[in-house]
Amino acid sequence: MAGLELLSDEGFRLDGRRPSELRKIRLRLGVFDQADGSAYIEQGNTKALATVYGPHEVLGGKGKPLHDKVIINCQYSMATFSTNERKNRPQGDRKSTEMSLHLQRTFEATIQTHLYPRSQIDIFVQILQADGGNYCACVNAATLAIINAGIPMKDYVCACSSGYVNNTPLTDVSYLEESQGGPVVTVAMLPKSEQIALFKMDNRLHVDHLEQVLEVASKGCKDMYAVMNAAVKEHVSRMAKSMECS
Amino acid sequence: MAAHSDHVKHHNRICVPGEHLGLESEYHTGPGTYRRNGSIYASLAGHLCSRTEVETELPALTVLQQEIQITVPRQKSLVTCKVVSITSKFCRCDILSVESVPLTETFRGMIRKEDIRATEKDKVEVYKSFRPGDIVLARVLSLGDAQSYLLTTAENELGVVLAKSEAGVPMVPTSWCEMTCPKTHDKQLRKVAKVQPHYIAYAS
Repeated sequence: MAGLELLSDEGFRLDGRRPSELRKIRLRLGVFDQADGSAYIEQGNTKALATVYGPHEVLGGKGKPLHDKVIINCQYSMATFSTNERKNRPQGDRKSTEMSLHLQRTFEATIQTHLYPRSQIDIFVQILQADGGNYCACVNAATLAIINAGIPMKDYVCACSSGYVNNTPLTDVSYLEESQGGPVVTVAMLPKSEQIALFKMDNRLHVDHLEQVLEVASKGCKDMYAVMNAAVKEHVSRMAKSMECS
Repeated sequence: MAAHSDHVKHHNRICVPGEHLGLESEYHTGPGTYRRNGSIYASLAGHLCSRTEVETELPALTVLQQEIQITVPRQKSLVTCKVVSITSKFCRCDILSVESVPLTETFRGMIRKEDIRATEKDKVEVYKSFRPGDIVLARVLSLGDAQSYLLTTAENELGVVLAKSEAGVPMVPTSWCEMTCPKTHDKQLRKVAKVQPHYIAYAS
């Protein structure tokens, strides 16, 4: 490991967190009026914006409408200014396409797709600043945006990543920790039913440690759920109050 | 829709997707909820309320949202649409609402010549039944091809409910196939709907 000590002898990480600590989360629902649903999330320095449109008629020659369920169209993009080196194009490269596909699979598992046959739901997520855990931030933001749009879901989807350094699992890895080449496990979970919607692993991890790392990631998802839940409840009650006033 | 003596009870509770609401033996599932393993869970974020339509039946749990309801047209559902264009074979329209729920975005629909009326199908002419701009009550026949929903007006209760004459005034139906302009007394041919009060479901 190139001189950087990811975990100090005192048990602190580079940014001063403990191994099982999430980064600071700030989130907002309903940031745009034009979209049917939108949300913004900050997880440490990773910032993501999600917008949801639909369900609407299937437009363009892109896909054929399915007779028994809704098409979920996900598009992931990274702002050109989101990384250290300016990106040439925000979307369409191999990495973004893969990420879009992962997001699509994740949300097909949780949105009640049978309710809106022959139509389409668009989910657009953009990373405004990338600092590790991009997929997680996107999933969390998109979940909030879907709730904001009033699209029925089986459960929330919360995502969290975890790494493994010096025999210690780390929650919610940042870019610095990701880029050291250690193993990173990403989990998207339905926290109430504890089902896993997506599971992804980068680099190698000994199978003996897998359970431990998975445990930490799912704990992270549940912590994430608590934060998101509080925000949604607050949003709903504020909406109700503003309705009563008007 | 219809004026049932609904008994609505508001539980003072905000629920979120995936939240456990009750048992299937105690409640029915309403909008915004779903069933799994004998229990009822929320699928939307909103306020919980239970509605009893018939005294003997179980109350239905629903999750109410502040925002408008979302639906899509289904087979056999009654839709209100606006005629966009006509050809000699069919008429194209935009679906504006499904049952009593207005849509935020329109869906494309199509009424074929043979689906305009139930009898004497071979004598139907599209231009004698609809004109662009008419508001038509129709039923979804099938989900049609990839392009649009197939609609039908082959029932007495279905057809044109609102049409404006060239003078810009809403015309008055004079028979099941004719409408008259009250201003110019101009007669125009339409497939007029015999409007049923319970079909017109908008708020009074």
